[in-house]
Amino acid sequence: MLFAPVNLELKPRQLALLSGANGTGKTTLMEAIAGIRLLSAGQVQFSDNNSHTWQHHSHYLGHKLGNKGALTCAENLAFVAQINGLDVTERELSALLASAGLAGYDFQQASDLSAGQKKRLAVCRLLLLNKTFWLLDEPFVNLDHAGCDWLFQLITAHLDQGGAVLITAHDQQNITALAHHHITLEPA
Amino acid sequence: MRFWTLLRRDVLVAWRKKSGLYQPLVFQLLVVTMFPLGLGAGAQTLAKISPAVVWILALLSTLITFEHLFKDDYEDGSMDLYYLSDMSLPMAVLAKAMAHWITTGIPVILFAPIIGMLLHLPNQSFGILLLSLALATPIFSLLGAVGSALTMNLRNGGMLISVLVLPLMSPVLIFGAGAVLESTLGNSAQGHLLMLLGCLVLAISLAPVTTAAAIRINLE
Repeated sequence: MLFAPVNLELKPRQLALLSGANGTGKTTLMEAIAGIRLLSAGQVQFSDNNSHTWQHHSHYLGHKLGNKGALTCAENLAFVAQINGLDVTERELSALLASAGLAGYDFQQASDLSAGQKKRLAVCRLLLLNKTFWLLDEPFVNLDHAGCDWLFQLITAHLDQGGAVLITAHDQQNITALAHHHITLEPA
Repeated sequence: MRFWTLLRRDVLVAWRKKSGLYQPLVFQLLVVTMFPLGLGAGAQTLAKISPAVVWILALLSTLITFEHLFKDDYEDGSMDLYYLSDMSLPMAVLAKAMAHWITTGIPVILFAPIIGMLLHLPNQSFGILLLSLALATPIFSLLGAVGSALTMNLRNGGMLISVLVLPLMSPVLIFGAGAVLESTLGNSAQGHLLMLLGCLVLAISLAPVTTAAAIRINLE
């Protein structure tokens, strides 16, 4: 066992902050909740009984950003939209990129972007897929001041619209202030 | 449709990266030039060994392209995007294997006559060579998917893929090279080609499910 048992009930419009020292298993827990790692004990439940799979309602943004370097920004987003059965126009994608501060980068390959810009492109997916539950693993890393403000506004707007967020973030005072739950992982 | 979305993406990525496209062909060309040097032989000896050499080259040159089939997606995180989407995983595997065949298998098929010519393959065998490779290269891609998925989270998985996949490929080599050999002797290659077709059907039905299971094991 990696960390001592934790329990969390997250309601709409709530944000939970996950913290713990390096190596306590924050990312492991995030990945397990996201569904890309097996839980050795415990479970994740979504209260809406109509939904069989929890993954349909969540989107995970982790350390591996998921951008394909050889594809352009617009192609990266179009792929994510299509693989999730969404129909989006080129103009919508362009507007989305512009809102992320990536105006004019539509036809730029993702490998040419800076680390912060890559993160912005990955954050665009959250807006594109519009899932109820956001799992954000250190989303502020690599973002500049303006980027951090932008992402913070997205998170508050998402909460206002009835969404929920589970987040790990170091040194983010405003996120700490926003958190309804604060979970600290302790080594088992 | 999701299948075509993933297929198109992989073909596009391979096209932009280029190296995956010509690597097998350069490999084949380099190795085939070694044969006359090593054998020091005339056209007759080369013609005799040509069915086997063309086939082994096609097989080995495909083998070196397997490593990145799933590893790249695993490392950049784009695998999570289709793994967590509504798309069924075996279907995603089939799309990726088909994209691999389009970007690696088809060039290998088209290049084989050139290799055959360099080795003085008898004229009457070129048709059978193309046909046998057309049946076999999709099998290569599907078997490669299994090996690639099993080793996607290893740093140096390339060697391990060969060890895992080559034994599975040996029947394909036997029937494929056998078909070409029969045709050089003027015999019918039908039996060998039908066996290849059987292998292809088996690979299409079993490999996607097996690969999906391998991905699940490695992710979870």
